[in-house]
Amino acid sequence: MKRFLVVILALVITVGLLAGCSGKQPSSKTDTGTSTPETDTSGSDKEPASEKKSLTLWYYWETIKHQETLDRVIKDFNSSQDKAEVTARYIPFADFKKVLSIGAAATELPDIVIIDSPDHAAYAAMGIFADLTDKLKDWDGLDQYYEGPINSCKLDGRLYGVPFGSNCLALFYNEDMLKEANCDVPTNWDELRDVAKKTTKDGVFGFAMCCLQNEEGTFNFMPWMWSTGTSSFEINNPNGIKALTFVKDLIEDGSMSKEVINWTQGDVMNQFISGNIAMMINGPWQVPTMREQAPDLNWNVALIPKDAQYASVLGGENFAVIKGDNEDAALEFVKFAADAEKLKSYIDDFGYIAARRDVAETQFTDDAIMKVFIDQLQYAQPRGPHERWPEISNAISLAVNEVITGASTPENAASKAQNTIDGIIGK
Amino acid sequence: MNYIKKLLKNDNIGYVFVLPALIYMAVFVGYPILSNIVLSLQDVTVRTINSPAKPFIGLNNYVELFQDGVLRTSIVNTFTFTVLCIIFQFTIGFALALVFNNKFSFAKPVRGLIMMPWMIPITITALMYKFMFSSNVGIINFILKSLHIIQQPVDWLTQPGTAMAALIITNVWIGIPFNMILISTGLTTIPDDIYESASIDGANRIQKFFRITVPMLKSTIASVLILGFIYTFKVFDLVYVMTNGGPVNSTQTLSTYSYKMSFDLFKYSQGATIANILFVILFIVSLLYLKIFFAEEGTK
Repeated sequence: MKRFLVVILALVITVGLLAGCSGKQPSSKTDTGTSTPETDTSGSDKEPASEKKSLTLWYYWETIKHQETLDRVIKDFNSSQDKAEVTARYIPFADFKKVLSIGAAATELPDIVIIDSPDHAAYAAMGIFADLTDKLKDWDGLDQYYEGPINSCKLDGRLYGVPFGSNCLALFYNEDMLKEANCDVPTNWDELRDVAKKTTKDGVFGFAMCCLQNEEGTFNFMPWMWSTGTSSFEINNPNGIKALTFVKDLIEDGSMSKEVINWTQGDVMNQFISGNIAMMINGPWQVPTMREQAPDLNWNVALIPKDAQYASVLGGENFAVIKGDNEDAALEFVKFAADAEKLKSYIDDFGYIAARRDVAETQFTDDAIMKVFIDQLQYAQPRGPHERWPEISNAISLAVNEVITGASTPENAASKAQNTIDGIIGK
Repeated sequence: MNYIKKLLKNDNIGYVFVLPALIYMAVFVGYPILSNIVLSLQDVTVRTINSPAKPFIGLNNYVELFQDGVLRTSIVNTFTFTVLCIIFQFTIGFALALVFNNKFSFAKPVRGLIMMPWMIPITITALMYKFMFSSNVGIINFILKSLHIIQQPVDWLTQPGTAMAALIITNVWIGIPFNMILISTGLTTIPDDIYESASIDGANRIQKFFRITVPMLKSTIASVLILGFIYTFKVFDLVYVMTNGGPVNSTQTLSTYSYKMSFDLFKYSQGATIANILFVILFIVSLLYLKIFFAEEGTK
């Protein structure tokens, strides 16, 4: 008996002390529990047809301007009809996947989500998104979408969402620093390496890009991989190794700081506007901030220097509708927000490029910087798409990190990553 | 009926009083643990999380993870981190406790100030140290360079070896007050007259320390070490913020690896498996703690 008590006590103590750690799972369950009232109301209003359906939308934009613009769109929708009322809920990006996964397991989900495009396939595979293939068959906007964005909404040939807006990466450069070093804007890898070396001096690194070991790092590395002509899933070939070697060369030349493995894209931008970096890879969503915080900095944007072909990576969000009773009402909102005329009225405020041709062509006609991004977008490819993209992405960003820290040679890192990727796509 | 009367008559009534707590524990602690164990024996991925039938795959997750090098690295990392942190925290904490046990002016306010690191939220400490350890703009490299200890900046957080060192330094800074306060509390329980009589018998400071202080503090020391071990072993926020397990998994610990598996890679079962491994290790340590605890009780 005493022994039994000891065991129970031991359990109690471990668990009590673990509370901070393992407590995360139950506590986040109560987290999503806060959304129960919302889902409850949406479930209970089945009978009275005159009552408005209340729909919930989850998103993760932290910028105030993004939130305000989204609120405006939602308000317009709510006042444009009397069948449904949309409410938005902000969830921080770092928690978004977690909350959505737990919500999926506990079947406590919103009705609409605005989700990061590379994760779309994984959640579609979870079976939480409504299949919109047939419902959108006759929708006139569908053929206007660019191939990359619309493909990121598909799984096994079926459509599970509608692109919201797109962005892609391009090369930012400090005009004064390039002029001072007597350099032209680089267009290929050799020139880039040369310019980066020449602009590197005391306290200034010639080049930087985010190389975190997560999706953000993969996002920044993919343009180099694709530029050689290799695909998302093949890294252990001369082309993939070449891309890894290029990153290694930049580090070994001293043109890129090793600290890039700890820098987010925001950190890279901050280093750039502080004058610590001559060239960087970054996206259009930084442009409003840069104009505001460094109005005197002379900078410009160009296509990412190429190896065999121009390439960039497609970023952005998609709308997805959650399976369930509110599918049709939720789809109405998506159609409303994705409509060409409506889209034109708000997409510029996001600093995004519309994912549909008829809108994108009318955007930023007098903004030289944003025009470069529109130009770059035609070379942008989506990551994957694959339902297990997060694992593939992890293998790729790990390889980049191994090369930067010198833990592996490009060859070894590539072959290790390829083994992981083969194990995933072979299944 | 008689049986129930008998049951309630004796000391057994105590069990009834324990019941509410026991039920609470069973529901809010027992259930999650069991469901986590079940989860680790299934193959739950994005494809199966919503389907009612989840394939049962026995110990496959455990086998697969033990073959994967990252789990081994995380176990080694977690132990290295914990053991080194405990050694430094404990030694420095003990020394400070001895210093502040002496009565001198400002002893009390200074002791209060030393508690600060313990009270700052770990995320903030982690961010602060992340800036301080930065290669090019960090104050630590700046100081070391000014003192001519190093010529080139050290890549603290971007090199496998030094990243772990940086984490340990940060965590030692956080953990010292915890060790210090528990040991100073222990010190106040030792009566002064023991030291007095020892002095009369001609014992010197070192003898007094090893013959009186340490033996009298035995149970305090055991609690500090074991509680410290458990607390340090499940480190999460510090690593998550400072290095997120990088560079190249060199600071990946069991808790961050478990989180990454579940919420970055969507491999829910494998995440649960790692959490269980963490749990088993801590469970063994807790048993050890109780054994020592009960042994102490028994001798009294």
